[in-house]
Amino acid sequence: MKPAPFDYYAPKSVEEACALLAEAGGGATVLAGGQTLLPLLALRMSQPFVVIDINRIESLKFVSRADGGTRIGPVVRQSEIISNDILKQALPVLVTAAQHVGHHQTRNRGTIGGSIALGEPAAELPATAVALGASIEVRSVRSVKKIRAEEMYLGPYATALSSDELITSIDFPEWPVNTMPLFREIARRPGDFALAGLVGAVVIESGRIARAGIAWFGMGPTPIKARQAEAALVGQSIGSLDAQRLAELAIADADPFDDRHATAEYRRTVARRIFVRTLSEALKQRQAA
Amino acid sequence: MSEHKIELSINGRRQRATVEGRMLLSDFLRVDAGYTGVHVGCEHGVCGACTVIVDGLAVRSCLMLAVQADRCKVTTVEGLAADENSLHPIQQAMRDEHALQCGFCTPGVVMTLAALTGGAEKPDAETLLASMSGHVCRCTGYQGIRRAILKLAGESEAKQP
Amino acid sequence: MTLHVDGAVIGRRLPRKEDARLLTGRGTFVDDVVFPGMLHVAFVRSPIARGRIRSLDISTARDLPGVLAVLTATEIDRFNAKLLTFFFTPPAEFPFPLLARDRVAHVGEPIAMVVAQDRYIAEDAASLVTVEYEEETPVVTIAEAMRAPPIHTGADSNVGAVIGVEQDEDLEAAMASAPYLLTRTVRHQRIAQSPMETRGVVASKQGDELLVHISCQSPHLVARYLSHALDQPHLSIRVIAKDVGGGFGFKNHPWREEMSVIVGCMLLGRPLKWIEDRWENLVAACQAREQEMTVRIGLDRDGKLLASHSDYSLNSGAFPQVPDANVAVHMFMWAAYKMPQCGFYSRAWYSNTAGLGAYRGPWGMESLARETLLDVAARELGIDPVEIRRRNLITKADQPCTTPLGIPLEDITPAECLEKLLEKFDVTAFRAEQAAARQEGRYLGLGIAAYIEPTGAAGSMAPMTGEFVQLRIEPTGTVTALMSTHSQGHGTQSTMAQVIADQLGVAYEDVQVFEGDSSRGGFGPGAAGSRQGVIGGGACRRAAALLKEKVVRVAAHIFNVSAESIAIDNGIVHIAGAEKQARSLRQIAEIAYGEPSRLPPGMESGLEAQYRYDPPPVTYTSAAHACVVEVDVDTGFVKIRRWLSCEDCGTIINPAVVEGQIAGGLAQAIGAVLLEETGYDDRGNPLAVTYKDYLLPSIADVPDFEYLHACTPSQSEGGFRGVGEGGAIIGPPTLVNAIADALAPFGEVPLDLPLTPPKLLAVIEGRPLAKPAEKPATQPMPEPIASPAEEVTPHREAGVLVDGSWKMVLATPMGPQPMTGHFETQGGVLKGTLASDQGSQDFEGTVTGNLLKWEMKVTKPMPLTLKYELLIDGDTLFGKAKLGIFGTAKVTGQRASTTTG
Repeated sequence: MKPAPFDYYAPKSVEEACALLAEAGGGATVLAGGQTLLPLLALRMSQPFVVIDINRIESLKFVSRADGGTRIGPVVRQSEIISNDILKQALPVLVTAAQHVGHHQTRNRGTIGGSIALGEPAAELPATAVALGASIEVRSVRSVKKIRAEEMYLGPYATALSSDELITSIDFPEWPVNTMPLFREIARRPGDFALAGLVGAVVIESGRIARAGIAWFGMGPTPIKARQAEAALVGQSIGSLDAQRLAELAIADADPFDDRHATAEYRRTVARRIFVRTLSEALKQRQAA
Repeated sequence: MSEHKIELSINGRRQRATVEGRMLLSDFLRVDAGYTGVHVGCEHGVCGACTVIVDGLAVRSCLMLAVQADRCKVTTVEGLAADENSLHPIQQAMRDEHALQCGFCTPGVVMTLAALTGGAEKPDAETLLASMSGHVCRCTGYQGIRRAILKLAGESEAKQP
Repeated sequence: MTLHVDGAVIGRRLPRKEDARLLTGRGTFVDDVVFPGMLHVAFVRSPIARGRIRSLDISTARDLPGVLAVLTATEIDRFNAKLLTFFFTPPAEFPFPLLARDRVAHVGEPIAMVVAQDRYIAEDAASLVTVEYEEETPVVTIAEAMRAPPIHTGADSNVGAVIGVEQDEDLEAAMASAPYLLTRTVRHQRIAQSPMETRGVVASKQGDELLVHISCQSPHLVARYLSHALDQPHLSIRVIAKDVGGGFGFKNHPWREEMSVIVGCMLLGRPLKWIEDRWENLVAACQAREQEMTVRIGLDRDGKLLASHSDYSLNSGAFPQVPDANVAVHMFMWAAYKMPQCGFYSRAWYSNTAGLGAYRGPWGMESLARETLLDVAARELGIDPVEIRRRNLITKADQPCTTPLGIPLEDITPAECLEKLLEKFDVTAFRAEQAAARQEGRYLGLGIAAYIEPTGAAGSMAPMTGEFVQLRIEPTGTVTALMSTHSQGHGTQSTMAQVIADQLGVAYEDVQVFEGDSSRGGFGPGAAGSRQGVIGGGACRRAAALLKEKVVRVAAHIFNVSAESIAIDNGIVHIAGAEKQARSLRQIAEIAYGEPSRLPPGMESGLEAQYRYDPPPVTYTSAAHACVVEVDVDTGFVKIRRWLSCEDCGTIINPAVVEGQIAGGLAQAIGAVLLEETGYDDRGNPLAVTYKDYLLPSIADVPDFEYLHACTPSQSEGGFRGVGEGGAIIGPPTLVNAIADALAPFGEVPLDLPLTPPKLLAVIEGRPLAKPAEKPATQPMPEPIASPAEEVTPHREAGVLVDGSWKMVLATPMGPQPMTGHFETQGGVLKGTLASDQGSQDFEGTVTGNLLKWEMKVTKPMPLTLKYELLIDGDTLFGKAKLGIFGTAKVTGQRASTTTG
């Protein structure tokens, strides 16, 4: 298990990185945290001609509050998300999600940008970006553009990123301080990819739900936004929520599959239950607070 | 295929080398630098045996390229104890609690715990135990590792009901 | 870092001598071994499960800079090296290849071997070898193997081995008349043994010395294996394995890759290194288990056992290291229980999957099947699971006795272990807690299981010898032991030192144990069958006693007193009652080596002793375990809340080591029940090729274990009993029973490992499971007699040439056994001798025409009467030998010479 030969570059700037990507004409892979890429290289399942390491680009390591939201640089490590004070305040559910990514040792290297760019359907961070309505800033020598997270994922490991594009920021919209977080993941062991996972945020104003962002992971070929459940939630009084019906609506958007670790039926059954459990517990906690 | 000059500190000693871009840090540390305490158990980032400390953080050395460690400070299990005849407190606790059998996964376990306890902040037992999900031990059933952690975290001896 | 210990050393939780080097990264594992000029190997492996190799092109790979050679079967086969089993026998009636020749029989099979300056380049070159295949439909499952034509040319069927009797009239009658008959099929999935260190070998040849560093379970066994397998009498073979990162049966002996590397080293004359990577390990290496067993048990309404039959099959893959039908499963199925009569039928099936190897408690299917079925029976009969065991377990008072399969029992204690366990675990209180929890929608379950296991076996099979130690007291005061034992984590450098220190009366820190080099110490098979503590410990005691006797004689001579008045305490030799009349062991040793004139007349100089200890044939260890689980009925996830073990491993050398062995086995049991599974798709592609998909238990999956020790001394020297495998054997049924108990309100849990959350949720939901395929009607298999036998019939004509020597092969459950037969006839009387490497034995029988019949009693591997019936056809003979309860074995032979005059 040794990587096939490649040319390695460690550009210091985004411009340099984009130029290298353009020059490689599709033969390059971007190396961020490397916690998924390195095994793929070692197994020779990925054999790029060029590896562009963005870990030396200081301008990609930032967490900032900007008008109407929070911006996170792609080379921010998962462990840094967990300990970041701005994020604890602004996006607590992202912090929770990051705590479930891999293991302590892989979170010390793994980055938010790498996870977002990979598009593993059972991963926590892409689903969180989808649930919270993030958009992804992407640069190439051709353009700078934003891709809405929910339009980013086309299939397992297939994204809307072109081969010459580099993620330069993950931009989360503003969620009020008292947003109710939703997060639950069912995995065989701590750190494994989810058999079924739910992530979301719900804004409650005067006892009614004003805004909801919810997504599944491990429940289809991509992270999946539970649009029907979101729509049904908005406007409801929190005293009269029918969690079972909402769960059915949420499941209706999912597209679970059979694999070695669980059947589609299992995922659907369990997902329905964790939806009910997570929503009910969150509401109970809110009422207690 | 590109080659790169790197300079890094390993266990407090500065070292220069020329490495191929694809060379894994684990292979560099074992073969080029001679730190064979870095054990390669799966080479795809799951088992944790190859864990070393890079710039203060526990990371998988099989999931980094050697060239990425340029200008970094790397510590392997050989670099923990003060000298040949002593043990680091983590090593001592693991020895006292019979936390190893074959010893193959052990260096990785030691390095994660050393990184977590090496800073100013002293993590609680729960944090240390959670970090162990990143290590596979096939021999011990983790019994001694858990006892060593409870001891290190200042809790009483392993709970024996 | 010195280890100073005061007082007694045996039975104490002493720190291990191995740990300082392992904790500081200063162990020496095989990948740490480097030779000047060493080259690295990568294998080209089959991507398909079955087919013909149409062409193999190595030219591009060979031309890659940095590549020294690309070897294929054409080169490797020139050496004529053989693959053998652990018993040094051929694995089958046809040879197993080192590298695939013209066919491939499983995904991952090695086809070519690239030798290059480093592993990176070797893998680059391996990817440049092009192979064209003519793909064929693979045989993947046991069910397919039963139906399909043989996957191996030269084999009669896919049955690699068969023993036992499918239907025995008496037994069937006993079961038919039983008031309650329980039938269940138990399935154990395929497991990857997964030591954290994979396989690896560094072979170098220096003149006539072949030096092999290898990750293994006994360098002594590997050296002997190589000498048989290479058959190069001029070679001096030395095998070294210092630190080994776990074995668990996986590293019993070298296999295709290691043998290819060793042969490659001799062909190329350069040191070669191959370290198996984890992908290779999960795809191509030998795996374990994959068994299914249909068990029928007849009981009376009070739960008393009446009769049982087990029909067992295992999927042994294409090239198994263990090509037998696992007789031990049946031997120990009911050994701890009062079972009046039982029988079995046992078959191993070839398939296009990776071959099976050994794994901790290789016969453990017996405990899994027996203990889980007992719980099903208890539930159906309305008897408490503890009670059904109490009514049937063999107690101390029942012994001595002999099991229906002929195992003599004198001192097993499973019933006593169970009672001791129940003193600590309050079942009544648990049942109350369980009932209360169910009211809250929480489902707790209790699993109990008991068993015995054979440990420390010696004297019945070629490699299962006694253990050996060479012990000396150095003139430095240090005690040095060179052992036949070997640790892959067992800590024998510590436990053996404890035994020696205890027996010699010296400090633990002063004893140094060396193992891991076939050129030192003596032969031992290593960690196999929980033997090293028992037999190695016994050897240490005996050798230490011899040495102590010599020290006493020397001291008595020097002090001019009688031997009886000499005592040794903490390394000081003194006259009892006169502490000032003392010399240190070191001083005695100085005299013994340096001043032979001061020794008693005629005494050999030096302070050295050696001993090979041959223990009783088998030493039994017993245990009972209890486990409490909670099953989340929303998700089917299992949380283990408590686990108690009460084992009887006799006299304990080091409780921390004993408990470590139990815990490790239990963790593997948890993996087997809840997580681990290799698995194949229907094209024979392995499904778990990384640790992302092969799920090993993590720290969160394994609870804190509680231990009780029964400590009944065994008949072996020192009273030790083996403890290496127990957790892996009794763990699975204990956990399965707990889960089944928790979910009893919903229905019966399928005895089909692993019990994944989806499987358990299906039980909870009352959904029909994705049902494991019904056992297909077995196609009639050919009688286990060579096909020519069907064409030749017995005749009464005289004049058949019988007399003379015959080269014969008996296909025993342990593998083919070559024999030489010598026959002499006189009228209708046949006299003869059968000789094999197990010894030679005379017999007398009859000859009628071309039919020879005789009976002979053997004592190894157990007392049996063998009934031979052979037919002669010209210069060949064929027929069968009835092996008592073990069924019938095929016999074939060729005339070697005739006796004239």
